[in-house]
Amino acid sequence: MAKIIAIHSYKGGTGKTLLSLNLAALYANRGKNVCLFDLDFRAPSLQSILKAKSTEYWINDYLNGVCDIKKILVDVSKTYAKRGSLLVGFANPSTEAIREMSAKDRKWEMKALGRLLSLKNSLLNDMHFDYIIFDTSPGLQYSSINAIVSADLVLVVSGMDISDIKGTQRMIDELYDLFEKKTGLLMNKVFANFLTTKGHRQELAKKLVNNSSLPLVDMVPCFCDILRSGGTVVFSNENPDHPFVKILDRVATTIDTL
Amino acid sequence: MTVRKLEGTHTRLLQKIKESLDRLNDKMEVIIELQKHSSEANVEIPDVLDVMTLLSLPDHLRKTAITICKFEQATAEEVAEQTKRARAVESSYLNQLVMMGYLKKERRGRKAYFFVDKDGGNKTWQKS
Repeated sequence: MAKIIAIHSYKGGTGKTLLSLNLAALYANRGKNVCLFDLDFRAPSLQSILKAKSTEYWINDYLNGVCDIKKILVDVSKTYAKRGSLLVGFANPSTEAIREMSAKDRKWEMKALGRLLSLKNSLLNDMHFDYIIFDTSPGLQYSSINAIVSADLVLVVSGMDISDIKGTQRMIDELYDLFEKKTGLLMNKVFANFLTTKGHRQELAKKLVNNSSLPLVDMVPCFCDILRSGGTVVFSNENPDHPFVKILDRVATTIDTL
Repeated sequence: MTVRKLEGTHTRLLQKIKESLDRLNDKMEVIIELQKHSSEANVEIPDVLDVMTLLSLPDHLRKTAITICKFEQATAEEVAEQTKRARAVESSYLNQLVMMGYLKKERRGRKAYFFVDKDGGNKTWQKS
């Protein structure tokens, strides 16, 4: 079923971009047509990770009403998708663009929401994409809330830090629930010793589920290999047998059932 | 009453009238100032149906408002189909949103359409 997935978190550095990109590549490798958007306008990163050339138009231009959505999509299928297609909408990483985006007023944000909402028609219905994935900025700010409102499903990523868990809980109660969004919790960078045995995993899962009203989608341990890659690798493609990819494959399947 | 006494009474009366007018002037200046600030406040915080406004709306109105945002424009019947609530209920909520200044209403033939006023007079969402 075609859907829009927003990947969000309370704090920064939880692994949203890595998860968004790898999830997008994973769905594409399943033969799906996927569109990935960098909506973290304060710290755009997808263009650097994918080593993509500078484009004429950015997602910023689409939201500004300067161009059609087709103009901003960059097809990276040849490099990053074995079967389906993977198209990316990059955010403009220039300092000037970041400054401009952070100075937008409420009326602009309202129009941007309208443009994000219209992607459901233009991309899912007209262009027949199977998935749209929004890599959002952390916390409660316009760009991330606009993405959440426009999405069918929110995958909220949290680390094990107590401030992160408490903040995530607040967002569940005061943001996702208010917008009646289907939501899944993905615990990331979990201390590996917590997940060594099935008993350990169940104990931690029980603790997390008791603390939050969200369906716990999965728990991803902290992998040194990922840290070592320095954020330059699409793991789903380069290390298909890595445990991270296997967990993500499970996550992708669970998302489809939400 | 002598002429001098009469002049004295008139002078005191005029003085009282002048004092009353001064007090009235003071009050008028305060009211004008208040109105000026209140209109400035309206300029700074316009009635915009953005996500922060959506968050601040009561649950029942938020559902209606989000549906209109998704549709760009819709009748009460179309909104009711999405929210699974009665048409009359949605009609009431939509009219409340119009009165709050977040939506506009336009009658075309027998149907009333509701939409977000994005540009203060521009009637529909800009198409992508």
